[in-house]
Amino acid sequence: MANPVRSIWDYLKEISGENAYDRYLTVHAATHPGKPPMSRGEYYRARQDEKYANPGSRCP
Amino acid sequence: MSNSLRRYGIWVVIALVGALCWGILALSRGETVNAGWLLFAALASYAIAFRFYARFIQNRVLGTDDSRATPAERLNNGRDFEPMDRRVLFGHHFAAIAGAGPLVGPVLAAQMGFLPGTIWIIVGVILAGAVQDMTTLFFSMRRDGKSLGQMAREEIGPVGGAAALIAVLSIMVILLAVLALVVVLALAESPWGSFSLAMTIPIAVLMGVYLRFLRPGRVLEVSLIGVGLLFLAIIGGGWISESSPYAGFWTFSPNQIVFAIIAYGFIASVLPVWILLAPRDYLSTFMKIGTIGLLAVGIALTLPAMQMPRTTEFAFNGQGPVFAGALFPFVFITIACGALSGFHSLIASGTTPKLIQKESQVRVIGYGAMLTESFVAVMAMIAACILDPGVYFAMNANPALLGDSVQSASQAVGGFGFSVSPETLNQTAQRVGEDSIIGRTGGAPTLAVGMSQILAGLTGIFGASLQAFWYHFAIMFEALFILTTVDAGTRVGRFMLQDLIGNVYRPFARPSWLPGNLIASALIVAGWGYFLYAGVNDPLGGINQLFPLFGIANQLLAAVALTVGTTILIKMGKLRYAWVTALPLAWDAAVTLTASYQKIFSTDPAIGFFAQRAAAQQSLQAGKLNDVMLALKAESLQDARQILINTTVDGVLSILFAVMIIVVIADASRVWYGLIWGRKEPELSEAPYEESHLDSEGNEIEREPVGAR
Repeated sequence: MANPVRSIWDYLKEISGENAYDRYLTVHAATHPGKPPMSRGEYYRARQDEKYANPGSRCP
Repeated sequence: MSNSLRRYGIWVVIALVGALCWGILALSRGETVNAGWLLFAALASYAIAFRFYARFIQNRVLGTDDSRATPAERLNNGRDFEPMDRRVLFGHHFAAIAGAGPLVGPVLAAQMGFLPGTIWIIVGVILAGAVQDMTTLFFSMRRDGKSLGQMAREEIGPVGGAAALIAVLSIMVILLAVLALVVVLALAESPWGSFSLAMTIPIAVLMGVYLRFLRPGRVLEVSLIGVGLLFLAIIGGGWISESSPYAGFWTFSPNQIVFAIIAYGFIASVLPVWILLAPRDYLSTFMKIGTIGLLAVGIALTLPAMQMPRTTEFAFNGQGPVFAGALFPFVFITIACGALSGFHSLIASGTTPKLIQKESQVRVIGYGAMLTESFVAVMAMIAACILDPGVYFAMNANPALLGDSVQSASQAVGGFGFSVSPETLNQTAQRVGEDSIIGRTGGAPTLAVGMSQILAGLTGIFGASLQAFWYHFAIMFEALFILTTVDAGTRVGRFMLQDLIGNVYRPFARPSWLPGNLIASALIVAGWGYFLYAGVNDPLGGINQLFPLFGIANQLLAAVALTVGTTILIKMGKLRYAWVTALPLAWDAAVTLTASYQKIFSTDPAIGFFAQRAAAQQSLQAGKLNDVMLALKAESLQDARQILINTTVDGVLSILFAVMIIVVIADASRVWYGLIWGRKEPELSEAPYEESHLDSEGNEIEREPVGAR
């Protein structure tokens, strides 16, 4: 049985995008073998710039 | 037999519970009704709608196909296209659609009693709002995440597309003005509120620096730090408001706050996102989800009784002191978010469709998230209706009607047919740590008083009521995410404008070109800043004048989305089911056009912009205020001049919105006629079918080797 506190924490990590970098590393290793991946800081900055360069709308 | 009993038995029980709750809400003869009945009526209705109607739409109308790869799977680039877990995507989508709208609209509509608004919130979301979100999400997903504007252009034509674009820009400007107006009205003359909101700026900058340089990407930990600092800021605000030397410094007039917000909006739009916007985004998202959860727990545990009557006479005579106009159409305009909100179609055709793992998940994400937002609106309605109705009207009526003192307010409320003693008004203000609560329009302060009552009831269980703290917590939470919307909305508007001007003068199209950035930001800020300033200084009450306009603009966008949806359904050969979007469209058009008609042509100067304008003009020509102006509580010729300008602008905008709705629907009808009776061959612009290799949890399925059987 999964620990409920643990699973809430994991959900928060997932939803806040905190572990997006870990997933990027997996995808990167599979798709671009041999090429060094971005560092956590670089990756985060790139994602943020991208997100706000093309702003989705949000509701009032 | 026993099998189907087991399958449907539970739904029969839910239906019976729901029917019982609705019955008690509508018919009980008691003095007050407990909020619990409302809560359970809503939940039972949502459950049934989600299980049966949403599933019907999914299977019969849209025909989702889980063997078909979604754009997230086909175009996965680990960035904007990426299959995302449905629970996580639900959270993202909900956070994007749930803003201040569902919290403000129901509070204003409560002047007609709790029943009209509640019925519209629940029935509206089931048959219209959630349907719009779900179908738009599905159609955009089938088109690789195209935006509503692009779909309108492709499915209807260039005229419909252009109307959609203008609608989006103009709704943005009105929306930002109305939301900023809510903040101004909540913070004016309140040192506690002003201080704690001002502190969110250094907190956000601190978070931004932390995320950028100290611990990049550690969003969760920085958000927790931010929320902790926010609580300190609220506590600090309490201290400021009590120690007199600083209290004066932090007390601002409405116009001072207007210019502070305008300056802030411009700076936030020009600065790089990481300094202010991105960290605020995290902060307000966490606060939003946390506070909504807290409110739900509070209502469920304390089960307050609703003091507001089921319906008030204002529902029928249209003379309400909060906003003028009768139940039809104005309840349906005032409550947009939570029942049917056109704005959602922009999100449902923005980032979300690019992240869906499986087609069938449009039900839980499109329909389900909207039901959740509707639930937030129901809670806001409860929070407003547990207040003493006398207090409610003393807070929300047009300040000109209430006068300056508790005595005059008490008397004015008596004139509305409710009663409240001056002592009650003083006590209520004292309990929430403010000098006065009279004429605190805009919805936010009322909601905050209601929320503080509920949350104080909750902490009261543990022996501490802390109502003043909770009141300012609620104010801060609303102001925080309204300002985040102002930041983000100004930026979105700036990008749209740069894009638009870029068609004429090339360099403008580059978002990073500084002169373009500055000019476009200034234009957008000037747009909403103008309406904000005019609203704050409107002798007839800014909320009273601007909120209907905002509602009409929002429902105009819904009309565009539902028209696009109906067109696509017909093209898919689903004419038989086109009523699923066509009926809400017909309703939406009827409501919006009736409201526009009344705002433009009504001879009642409480409602019609041009009737007000004529009275103001007459007064100016005669050199003294006429009876109509006096009845509207205009005090000087200066007021009349202001009314003349404001009503001209508002009236012209009403005409513009009405014309655009008619243009979009007429243009689409031409297409429908061609498809149904003409020889026009339907062209579906869907992305072609490709087989999916993901299971419903997003795991890769073993691919069969080519040629194997």
